[in-house]
Amino acid sequence: MSLVLLFGIFFLCLIAGVPVAFCLGIAAFAGFIYEGLPLFIATQRIVSGISIFSLLAIPFFIFAGELMLQGGIAVRLVRLASAAVGWMRGGLGVVNVASSMLFGGISGSAVADTSALGSILMPVMKEKGYDGDYAVNVTVTSSIAGVVIPPSHNMIIYAIAAGGLPISQLFLAGVIPGILMCLCLAFAAWLVAVKRNYPSEDFPGFAPLMISFIVALPGLMTAVIIVGGVLSGIMTVTESGAFGAIYAILVTALVYRELTWDKFKQAVLVSVRITSMAMILIACASAFAYLLTLNRVPELLAGFVLSISESEFVILLLLNFTFLVLGMIMDMAALILITTPIFLPIVMDLGMSPIQFGIIMMMNLGLGLTTPPVGACLFVGCVVGNERMENVVKSIWPFYLAILTALMLVTYIPAVSLGLGWMVFDP
Amino acid sequence: MAAWQRGLDLLAQIATALASVMIVVLIVIFGWLVYGRYILNATPTWVEQAALLMVVWITFLGAAVGVRRKTHLSVDFIRDALPGPLRGAALIIASCALLFFGAMLAWQGYVMFDRTARRDIPLIGISEGWRAVPVIIGGTMIFLFSLDDLARRVFRKEDTA
Repeated sequence: MSLVLLFGIFFLCLIAGVPVAFCLGIAAFAGFIYEGLPLFIATQRIVSGISIFSLLAIPFFIFAGELMLQGGIAVRLVRLASAAVGWMRGGLGVVNVASSMLFGGISGSAVADTSALGSILMPVMKEKGYDGDYAVNVTVTSSIAGVVIPPSHNMIIYAIAAGGLPISQLFLAGVIPGILMCLCLAFAAWLVAVKRNYPSEDFPGFAPLMISFIVALPGLMTAVIIVGGVLSGIMTVTESGAFGAIYAILVTALVYRELTWDKFKQAVLVSVRITSMAMILIACASAFAYLLTLNRVPELLAGFVLSISESEFVILLLLNFTFLVLGMIMDMAALILITTPIFLPIVMDLGMSPIQFGIIMMMNLGLGLTTPPVGACLFVGCVVGNERMENVVKSIWPFYLAILTALMLVTYIPAVSLGLGWMVFDP
Repeated sequence: MAAWQRGLDLLAQIATALASVMIVVLIVIFGWLVYGRYILNATPTWVEQAALLMVVWITFLGAAVGVRRKTHLSVDFIRDALPGPLRGAALIIASCALLFFGAMLAWQGYVMFDRTARRDIPLIGISEGWRAVPVIIGGTMIFLFSLDDLARRVFRKEDTA
């Protein structure tokens, strides 16, 4: 009964348009009242849910990403990608994917990726004769690289939701799947470009390529510092996030000299907005999850799923399908927090590594950011590109297909995500 | 009515400014932590506790401002597809739900304050009560902001048309 109440109130609020974070909080408070638990425990869960040291990395990542956008790092990454792969047919489409790989590798946020690269690349693409829908399709789908390639603050949220997984292993596991996904997307971008007969750019020669690389290098170092600090074990993820943020300030202010006071303020304001949105979600989800565990939901659901089928293949397919559907209607961070405690025991039962499961989740829910009706990246992409969503979605399927291909490879071949870790961590 | 609106906007502005300053301070003290740990070989132990406290402040101030400025992520497409009267009802339910949440946070934040204020946070030597204060403030702000939404919807029906 209390579960019906918990989910009933949650969905009622959700349908009424209450922000997802508060839906969780309201349902949790109602659940505590119904169960007759002391209410201050709910508040305490809400506060202790965000009093976790590694979560402090989130504002740092977001701030660093925003500085890259405001301070000229993003533009230089695009120039580098353009010099490197612009000569291919549909060059700017492939450039777009490559830029996402570089930028996403640094900022860790798919929405930041869409707005940063979209505002730089989409006008250029349209000018050179690319269709608007193609420009939006490529920008939006390739931005998922931001959540898969480390550093990614969604991975930190997952690590905490899963009960404290080593973030260094998750980061390492995201590298190959992220690159694989970008290769699939680049292939799709190229294929569509050939079919629609899009132009290619001239290869600028190796000297200009080297120059654009050197110019972009100080920006690229931001990622090296953050990821390197974590992987080497020298710094915690929070420390390297802070160090990366400070480094980004120095590079954009002193090396590129593009960081003004106004841009700095803008970056701080965006960080406050996004950090508090993510954190209140984590806080409320923590109280909600307390009730789920109290009612043994994970065990019940695991029993139910395993009663449908014992085949690992079928269950993984089912899980992926569930994520896809949920990802279409809800936001990524919220879903990570709600579904991890429920689904993780099931896949652990199957003998799957929680690290691999995390990467599957990142890719799958990342895909949800690009689907109608509520994909945040799709939405931002359409706004930046000034295109209608209906129009964009009609021609986006080759890109979805590319991501799904990569997702299936990551789901059914553990080595794709775990291989690097085997080589680095296990003797 | 206009003064009340301006007051709420001012409240949101002050909260944003406070949270912004805290985020900058957060970055600075973490820079100090990294510098202390790796260069001076003397880790400033207070940084972690201070940071955990500040993040609660940033979260609750920022989240409350998000209610005023409608920046939170929500699922709107179902509500927007509803016919007029149902849509109006949904908007009012949403405001009431937020009103409830704000009130609970403010009230239970106070209960938490009452239970913890006489203890100190380790390493920084200030009262645990400081951790509950943003919950009370954030809850009160959410309550006021959604009360305003509700009042405007009931009296002017501007969103239900």
